[in-house]
Amino acid sequence: MSNVILFNLTTVLFGVASAMYLGALYAKNEKLGVMGTWVCVLAAVVSTAALGVRWYESYQMGIGRIPVTNLYESLVFFAWSVNLFYLVVERKYRNRTFGAFVMPIAFFTMVFAVYNDSSIQPLVPALQSYWLHAHVITCFVGYAAFAVSAGVAVMYLLKARQENAKISEGVVGLLPACKMLDDLVYRAIIWGFPFLTAGIITGAAWANYAWGTYWSWDPKETWSLIVWLVYAAFLHARVTRGWHGKRAAILSIVGFLATIMCYLGVNLVLSGLHSYGGG
Amino acid sequence: MADEKRTPSPMDRVWDFFTSVKLAIFTLIVLASTSILGTIIEQNQPLEKYHQIYEDWAFALMDRINLFDMYHSTWFLLILVLFTVNLTCCTIDRFPKMLKVVRNPRTKLDGSLEKSLSLSDRWKKKGTVSEWTGKYAETLSGSFAKPKVTEDEGQVHLYAETGVASRFGVYVTHLSIIIIFIGAIVGNVAGFKGYVNIPEGEAITQVPVRGGTLIQDLGFTLRCNSFSLETYPSGQPKAYKSDLSVLDGGREVVRKTIVVNDPLQYKGIWFYQSSYGQAGGGATAQVAVARKDGTPVSMLSLAANEPVPIDGYGIVRGVNYEQNFQGNGPALQVVVEKPGQPAASFWLVQRRPDLDRQRADSLVFSFRGLSSKMFTGLQVAKDPGVNIVWLGCALMVIGLIMAFFLSHQRVWVRLAQGTDGRVEVVLAGAASRNRLAFEKRFEKLQTGVKATGQ
Repeated sequence: MSNVILFNLTTVLFGVASAMYLGALYAKNEKLGVMGTWVCVLAAVVSTAALGVRWYESYQMGIGRIPVTNLYESLVFFAWSVNLFYLVVERKYRNRTFGAFVMPIAFFTMVFAVYNDSSIQPLVPALQSYWLHAHVITCFVGYAAFAVSAGVAVMYLLKARQENAKISEGVVGLLPACKMLDDLVYRAIIWGFPFLTAGIITGAAWANYAWGTYWSWDPKETWSLIVWLVYAAFLHARVTRGWHGKRAAILSIVGFLATIMCYLGVNLVLSGLHSYGGG
Repeated sequence: MADEKRTPSPMDRVWDFFTSVKLAIFTLIVLASTSILGTIIEQNQPLEKYHQIYEDWAFALMDRINLFDMYHSTWFLLILVLFTVNLTCCTIDRFPKMLKVVRNPRTKLDGSLEKSLSLSDRWKKKGTVSEWTGKYAETLSGSFAKPKVTEDEGQVHLYAETGVASRFGVYVTHLSIIIIFIGAIVGNVAGFKGYVNIPEGEAITQVPVRGGTLIQDLGFTLRCNSFSLETYPSGQPKAYKSDLSVLDGGREVVRKTIVVNDPLQYKGIWFYQSSYGQAGGGATAQVAVARKDGTPVSMLSLAANEPVPIDGYGIVRGVNYEQNFQGNGPALQVVVEKPGQPAASFWLVQRRPDLDRQRADSLVFSFRGLSSKMFTGLQVAKDPGVNIVWLGCALMVIGLIMAFFLSHQRVWVRLAQGTDGRVEVVLAGAASRNRLAFEKRFEKLQTGVKATGQ
């Protein structure tokens, strides 16, 4: 099917963009970085088209539905979100070094997706609801923001070691100043947190409309709460107790690990109501 | 203040403990890490299942600390209570202080305040204080906010602020959590959750409550008229449909076909499509009856060996069914008894509805297939607290947006007549959050204010 071809092309583009950003860092070649940005923009266009085509193809098959309902689709949607969120950050902060740390997340997500079943399956009755759209989109914007935050947190940890030793050399020397990285770790989370909150709320509203219980301590629900609690702890530590720098960066990475567990781990390891890992 | 020096009383210490953010962070982390347990250990399973998985000693230990239903255990509830008490105390402790600051802002830029602000600038202008006060007030009104003017010991202070609401964001968010908890408690106390199976054509007036032996009276009757299952061409389920009627005061008041994600509600009680299955009592055979000329007479539903009378004709019984009758597919063996005649037995083949014409009887029978009686499984819920929960959820999102995307920005201008006859001007600013963005705004403001009157 043509959507899968477009998604495969997206995977290649994400790989090329990651390589260019990394290359730009190592070779200190700005042109390569600029090309990386254009490849990212192209990938955004191609992956958006792929989602549209997949949506259209599902209608042609007589089962028309938004393409965010199984593991394959959710992975490509996550990669799509990360790419877009990254482009916004790159534009806003006018710095391409983030790309070397964030785009590989999108690339490896797509590589993982390629190994999953990409066929368009009809929606089981439980998923036939308009809440699906609001729930998935809010959750994934949140996840993407947390991914960017964690990528930048890794950059921070690398950079902070050099700044402490008062040296600036090699690849790490080219990274933005610690102050900026530290700020971005936080800023990405304050974007992600309201979206995760909205994602949990829309999920609860949907659950209530589908089976009369807005919260049932299902593993997926519980893990989304765990993620929420970790970032809530991050925000309190940061705002009121002045946790900056290393401790904040580590907490951001812990938060993202919890996010991965919530998003993938629950479906692949545990059992629950969210269908996309079970199949 | 004098009383800051006194040694804290035990009561103060307790208060300090419950109002500390350290406790909040600790509780958040404890809630997060203990919650993991319940996702690894499957909750609320039959005890035998746990016996199979765990060693006896581990089972005894886990059972003792309620790990098989940990989210409803006393210790988990206690953590939630601690969390709520902490949240409430923090609010009681800090909200009045915040309100005081917001109501009585420091409108005067005195020396100590100026020192504490990282963004400031100073310059001198020819002219009088009152002349420049007017000009700067106008500039601030245009590019920031209308300033408040205070005169004090020959100095004039301009104070302007935007985004005061951001100070309230955190309290709105915290309040929303308490509202959600209240909604949950109301739902638990005044509502119920149940589950019921209703066979097609049957009705219920009571529902067994989940997780107990209680029976809940509905106060009306719910009937399942029919259940149907639709599938995609691939055979995967597409829709589970239950045609339901609510009977109240002896008549039908509501009729609705519910599917998953589209429940029925009556008098605050919701019915959700949840499950289905084959009801007991076996299958029935559908047999169409028509006259010789083809006009339909009736549709018979024959249970195995149950005699069904046809007026002015006789008695019909379905006695045998074969999945593949002599290679012709599904067929039903029927026995017809007419008054004063010997019983006649013959087969009706589903694929050949006209076959019975060969019998040359006054009525023609054709077999339309077997249908088994289904039941629908419904989740039943009454939750008067749910709208309180949604109110809390809405407030939470609003509170988070206020807290994270608004910033309380304050700007001061101080004017004083200098010893050299010129006006000494000091500009300073502060933001409650997102200082990097405010720095840029302050720079613009700085340029704009400095350029005033030139």
